[in-house]
Parts: sequence; C-alpha cells; structure tokens
Amino acid sequence: MSENRHFTTRRGFITGMGFGAVGLYGVWAAYGAAPLPFGNHHETLHQGHGDAAGTLGHAGADHDAGSAMTPEAFRREHAAFVDRFKRPDGSVEPVAGQAVSHDTGHHDMNAHDMGHHDVDAHDMGYHDMDAHGAGHHDMNAHGAEDGHDMSGHAMSHTAHGADADQPVDLYLLAFMWGYNPDILRLRTGVRYRLRMMADDITHGASFQLGAASRIIRLRPDSVSDQIITFTKPGTVLIYCTVYCGAGHDQMQGKIIVTASEQGGQP
Amino acid sequence: MNAPLPSLSDRVSALPGCDKALVRVLFGASLLALALGVGFGWLTALGRAGVAVFEPQQAARLLTLHGVTVFFYWLYLAQTALLLVLAGAERNGGGLALRSLAWIGGALMLAGFAVSEIASITGTPLLYDGGPALGRDDPAAVGWFSLGYLLLGAGLAASSASAIATVITRRNGGAGGALSAVGFALFAWAGFLIVSAIAAVNAFLPSVLWALGRGAFPANQPTEWHILFHNLHYLPLMATVVVWYVLVQALTGVSSMHGARFSKIVFASYLLFVPPTSLYHMFLEPNLSETVRVVGSLLSLFVAVPTVMAFLIIVSSLEAHGRSRGASGRLGWVGALPWKNPVMAAIACAALNLGLGLTFAFVLIQEKLAPLFSDTFFVPGYFHFFAVGTVSLSFLAAMMVVLPALTGSAPWRPALLCRMPAVISLGLLIFGAAGIAAGYAGVPRRTFDISYGGGAPALWHTLMTAVGIGGTVFALGLTVLVLGVARSLLPGPKDSVVQQPVVSWGDTPLRSQVAAWTGPAGVVLVVVAMALFTIVAFDLMNALPLTVIGGGGHSH
Amino acid sequence: MKEDALLILLVFVVWAALALIYALVPSLGMPGYVRVWGAGAMLFLGLAGLLAVVRR
Repeated sequence: MSENRHFTTRRGFITGMGFGAVGLYGVWAAYGAAPLPFGNHHETLHQGHGDAAGTLGHAGADHDAGSAMTPEAFRREHAAFVDRFKRPDGSVEPVAGQAVSHDTGHHDMNAHDMGHHDVDAHDMGYHDMDAHGAGHHDMNAHGAEDGHDMSGHAMSHTAHGADADQPVDLYLLAFMWGYNPDILRLRTGVRYRLRMMADDITHGASFQLGAASRIIRLRPDSVSDQIITFTKPGTVLIYCTVYCGAGHDQMQGKIIVTASEQGGQP
Repeated sequence: MNAPLPSLSDRVSALPGCDKALVRVLFGASLLALALGVGFGWLTALGRAGVAVFEPQQAARLLTLHGVTVFFYWLYLAQTALLLVLAGAERNGGGLALRSLAWIGGALMLAGFAVSEIASITGTPLLYDGGPALGRDDPAAVGWFSLGYLLLGAGLAASSASAIATVITRRNGGAGGALSAVGFALFAWAGFLIVSAIAAVNAFLPSVLWALGRGAFPANQPTEWHILFHNLHYLPLMATVVVWYVLVQALTGVSSMHGARFSKIVFASYLLFVPPTSLYHMFLEPNLSETVRVVGSLLSLFVAVPTVMAFLIIVSSLEAHGRSRGASGRLGWVGALPWKNPVMAAIACAALNLGLGLTFAFVLIQEKLAPLFSDTFFVPGYFHFFAVGTVSLSFLAAMMVVLPALTGSAPWRPALLCRMPAVISLGLLIFGAAGIAAGYAGVPRRTFDISYGGGAPALWHTLMTAVGIGGTVFALGLTVLVLGVARSLLPGPKDSVVQQPVVSWGDTPLRSQVAAWTGPAGVVLVVVAMALFTIVAFDLMNALPLTVIGGGGHSH
Repeated sequence: MKEDALLILLVFVVWAALALIYALVPSLGMPGYVRVWGAGAMLFLGLAGLLAVVRR
C-alpha cells in the first residue's frame, strides 16, 4: 500500500511537517534574534548580554564579562545615588553632561557629595562610579590610586557623565509597594546603565512606552542591569508586573524624559 | 488499535462496578472543580473589566482560587479519571489492576482538593504557584497550600501506578504481546504523571518543611515551580491528543492509517521533547545564565513537534478515509463528519483553538520578546486557547462518550450542547484577541486596577472590557456544557441513552494516491501566522522610544 | 512488547543525558532539573524494564 500512497499521507512527510514551526527560525534570524550566529545578531547580542550576564551575579550564572554587584553594594550605591541627585521636588535627576556644565547648583551638590561617593567606589573597587562625575580633587585622587590616565580631557568627560563610552548609572530599588526613586528625570540620547533590584520579594519593573511596555523581572537581592537610551521625550509609567501583595496595584513610578540639548538621537 | 475490540462504550460499560464507582467520583469531582473554577474565573474577568470591584486581597484570592481549582484540580482530576477509565477499557472487561491503589490515589487527590481550596479561601493568597515569599509572614498558609499539591501529586502517582499495571496486564492483547497504540499512550501518559508528582514534591515539599519549622526558607521555589509548570503544560496536551485518538475512532471508526508503531513513536516523543524544551518559561528570570537562555530559546522551537505530528496523523487518516468514500472538493470530507454529535463539534473546535494557541505560544517563546510579553495579559490571552478551547473541550467531549457508558444516562439536550463549543470558541476569540492585544500594549497580567492614577493608556481599559465580555461569553458556554455533561453522571432511565450520530469510515479501503492536504495546510497556516505575529512583535519592539541592551532582551 | 520497551528506554536515555548535563555543568544553575529529570529517567528505566519482562 505504501508505494501507492500520496506523499501527503506518508510518515516521512508527517514527520517533516511536525517540525514546521522550526521554520520560524528564519524570522528570528531576520530580526537578529536567532540563537545561532546567523543573521546580524551576533555583535549586538554579545554586547548586550555581556552587560547582562556580568551582573547576573550570585545565582550561578555563567558570566561573559563584567563584574558582579552584590546586593549590599547595590544598596550603598543606590542610597548614594538618591542622596546625591535628589531634587527639591523629590524627583531624582542624575547628572548628564548638560546639567553639570550649566547648572551650578547641581555641580555644587555633586561636589559636596563626592567624598562620600568616592569612598564607596574605592571600597568596592567599582570604577563605574566615575561616570557620575565628581569633584576634580577627588577624581584625581581616585584616578591616581587606580593608575588611570586622568588628563584634563578625560577628566572632563568622566566628571560630566556624558562620555559616549561611559553610561550614566541609575539605581532603581523595587519594594513593597513602590520604587525608589519613584520619579526619575532623564534625558534623551544619553546612555544610562539602569541597575535594578528588588528589596523584599519578587517585583517587576515595566516601562510603559506608548504602544507597548518593556518588562524586567526583579528577584530579591539579585541585581539586574540594562543599558538604556531614550530616543523621545515623554513621561514613562513604571509599574509592577509581578503580583507582590495587597499593594501591588498601586506600585508605580515614572520617568520624565526631556529632550537633551545635544539632540535626542543616540 | 486495529485489534477487533468491542466499541469504547461497550468496554467502559463492561467495567466492574467498583471501578465504575471510582471513575464516576473522579469525573464528578473534576466537573465540580471546573464549575467552581469557571465561576472564580468569570468573577476575575469582571474584575479585570472594571465591572466588579474587589478589594486587593479579595482579587488575589479570586485569582488564586481560579488557578488552583482549574489548572490543578479540574485538569488533573479529569486526566486521572480518563486515564483510569481508558486503561480499564484497554483491559477489556478485566477492570483496574492494583485497584486499591487507584482508590487510595483518588482519595488523596480529593483530600488535596479540599485542603487546597480551604487554604486558598482562608490563608494569605499565594496565587496558584504558591510562592512562599508572599506568605513569609503566614507560614501556615504556605504549608497547608503546599500540602494540598503534595496530596494531589501523591494521588496522581498512585492512580497512575494502577493505570500502568492495568495496561500491561491487558487481557486479549494484540499481536506479539505488544501494547496497542492507545495502550502505549496511556502507559507513557501515566509515567509522565508520576514524574510530575516528583516535580511537585521537588517544588512544594521544602515549603511544607519550612512551614513546620524543619527547613530553610524555600528561596528557590520559583525555579523549582517552573519545572513542574512545564510538565503541567505538556501533560494536558498529551492527554488531549490521546483523547482525540480515542474519540475519532469512536466517532468515525477510523484508526491511524500510519500504523500503531508510528503513533507510539509520536506518543513517546512527547516524553522525549519535555525536558529539552522546558527553559522558555524562565526567560525573564534575572539570574538565568546566558547559555541557558540562548539554548532554551532554540530548543523551544521544538515544543510543538509531538502535538503537530499527532494532529497530522489523525487528520490525514480521517481525510484519506473520507476521500476514499467519495468525498469531493477541498473540504467535502469535513462536511461528511457527524456534526450533529456534540463530541464532534467539541473536538473540531478544540483543533481550531489549538492552532490559535500555538500561534501565540510561539511568539512568546522568543527569548528577545519575553520582555515585551511575559507577565502581561498576553499570557492568559493565549493560554486560554489551550486550557479552555483545546484541553477542556476535549476532556468534556470524552466525558460525553464515557459517562453515558458508565451510568446509562444521556447528556442533557445534546442538540444544545452541540452548539456550545462554537459559543465557547467565540467567547475565547474575543477574550484572546483582546487579551493578546492588551499584552502587546503592556497590560499587566495580575493587576486588577490598571488606572495607575491616570498614567495608563486609555486603550488598556477598552481592551480589558473586551476581555470581560469574551470571558463572560465563554464562561456561559462552558457552564451550559458542564451542566449538560454532569447530567449524565446521575442515574437515568435505562433506555435514556440515544446513540449520537456517528459515521463508519473505518472499514473503507483506502484509495490509491488519495491525498490529505487539509492537515498540512492547517500547519502551514499556523506557521505563517506565527511568523506574522512574531514580526509584528519585533517591529513593535523596535519602534519603542527606548533602546535596551541586556536584561534578557535586546531591541532598538 | 519489545518495541514498547525500546521506546521507553529511549526516553530514559534522553532524560538521563539531560540530567547528567545539568549535574556536570553547575554553572547552568539548575539543580532542580537534575533531581526531576534524573528521577524521571530512573522511573522510565524501571518502566522499560517492566515492559521487557512482562509476559502476556
């Protein structure tokens, strides 16, 4: 009988069709999202996950690059971050190049707080602190200790936090039931390293971006990193996407994104 | 499957009275769980639509009760009852082996049902995954809740052991002592149920020990839960395919034209594909290693292979037989099926809903898209096509065949029941389309008040209203169907069972070179739909005013 | 019965291999997978044996 069978009723054909969904791989590859190194994904994937994996940290993840950040270090840096960049209205605006250059008040505040910050950075061996900017005196000391070339030009970039290679660090702590800081003021076109952690139980941090949202799940005491750049100004709602108890529905924050004076395009 | 056994109904009727009593109890409990679960789910849908307002704790309790009752007790009580009754039917009059174990298993599952419901009603709402972090201040709630699942797991293992013993000691076995295709499927299914019981112990025993003060806080429970959860995805689909296999033969007389061995390979492939495809549930986990994330995404492409193959075996066998009997035109053979039989209507709608569910499941398994969809309403939006539209309809269809054979009592108003699968599917279509669109828009999955002080897009409310409407429609259809099926649990007049329409295609000699294009065309359609919705998702992600590198996803 | 036993034996092989991989590469961070797939592998080995020895 089998030799008289139409090919659509043969076992080999049915087996092949069973694997039909694997054809979706072509779409993945076209969008640079295929796990295997086809298409154009490899370079960006490596860059992206080098950062991500580097901070996955203590749960046995295999790291590609980067340094792990302990929950204790996160808490210290988060507190310093909020303390340093808090505005009178309660929002937090990390310094980008424009703000430091033209806003004397912010500059003074940074200078005032840098001693505290640099101590932490030194203690933790955590060099990315430089990206936030610092008083020149402290930065010189720090740079000299670490043997960095702290020429005037390099100094200017680091202090202003707007070096194209050095993202500005942001810290977001999720807790029952809110985010700290709950209002962030950011600029378009600036690369930020968004470091996030849940303080108590698992939370989500979803950024509502108009047509859709982007979610990250935050496990307690596990630091997650993303390098983000906003390309348009606007207000972004942050909300929790993991049920976390009675106040879950009210857990929210926002990011106010304003246009960078240097242009909004990265 | 080709052995000249009596009909399924005759073999079920021939079961010993004590076995009939056990499966009736289990079927009854499963229908009770379904009815309760639908009620909780309907209230949840109304809450999400903003029609009903619940206090946060009440809302979380409703969600917990809905998930626990339907996802665990409806699906697993029904599976156990079907497994036992089909195993008993395979033994052809011999009844269940290790009968006392089957009874103990049933008792344990019912005890688990009671414990889980009471714990969900009285304790801190933990949602259906029983996460201990939510109950850190209420260890008793965590302990009792977890104990319910452990009892369920123990009951599943005991009942499955009885089913395995029954199948391998089948009387009047096929040629060469081999199991029939259905017998092998039941054997594999029962083994898989036992593995899931082991996964339940792995996930929930530490919580019980912690609650008793005899163990550390189970911080790894979310990861262990994912392992169990993956099994719990696969098991109902495997059971559904077994049920289709049995029901198509009961409705049309057609068995696989590809031979029992090929069917066995497909059923075994369910077990082969389970462990490798289990990682995609965890793509949003911040501590998931990059290697696991990448390999998991690749392997997830294979997650549907067994189900698609089983679908094609059944549909190609039906089409070849239908065409060999003279059906003409592209879908003439479909029109010749017994559509006035509610069982036929149910499994046909189940197949369509399976296609819809698979389409969107494959959007979700893309690792880079997880940050767009995971933890949004996309998830309930698509999985109700599976849980309700595919699995529940198939199980209810099986009950419409098995229960009358057990009790001699017909389902209530078969003509009305015949329409319910379409009503349910229509409701699901509204619910799923709105829910999936809400997922694309970012509506969170387990948040009842999505206003965020006016910060949320207005579209969210519109979509969730549609979710409430769709949920109401399919809840109504499901309630009617459950009541109709439950009627045949009760004793009726001996002559009350009227044979529902069937066709007899099984003895038709297959025509040479008869083609069967419908199944492959359906698969191609589904794959194209998967590709389209994946493209939409990528384009949407790329259009967002935010570039992101790291954290389990990458986009421009 | 022999083909039945062989198919179930194949399940054992795949599950055992995966459990072994997760056990031998601890950086994958999935000890639960070792326990569940490993126990499952043992179960299917036993079931394959059962199918092989049962005479009907």
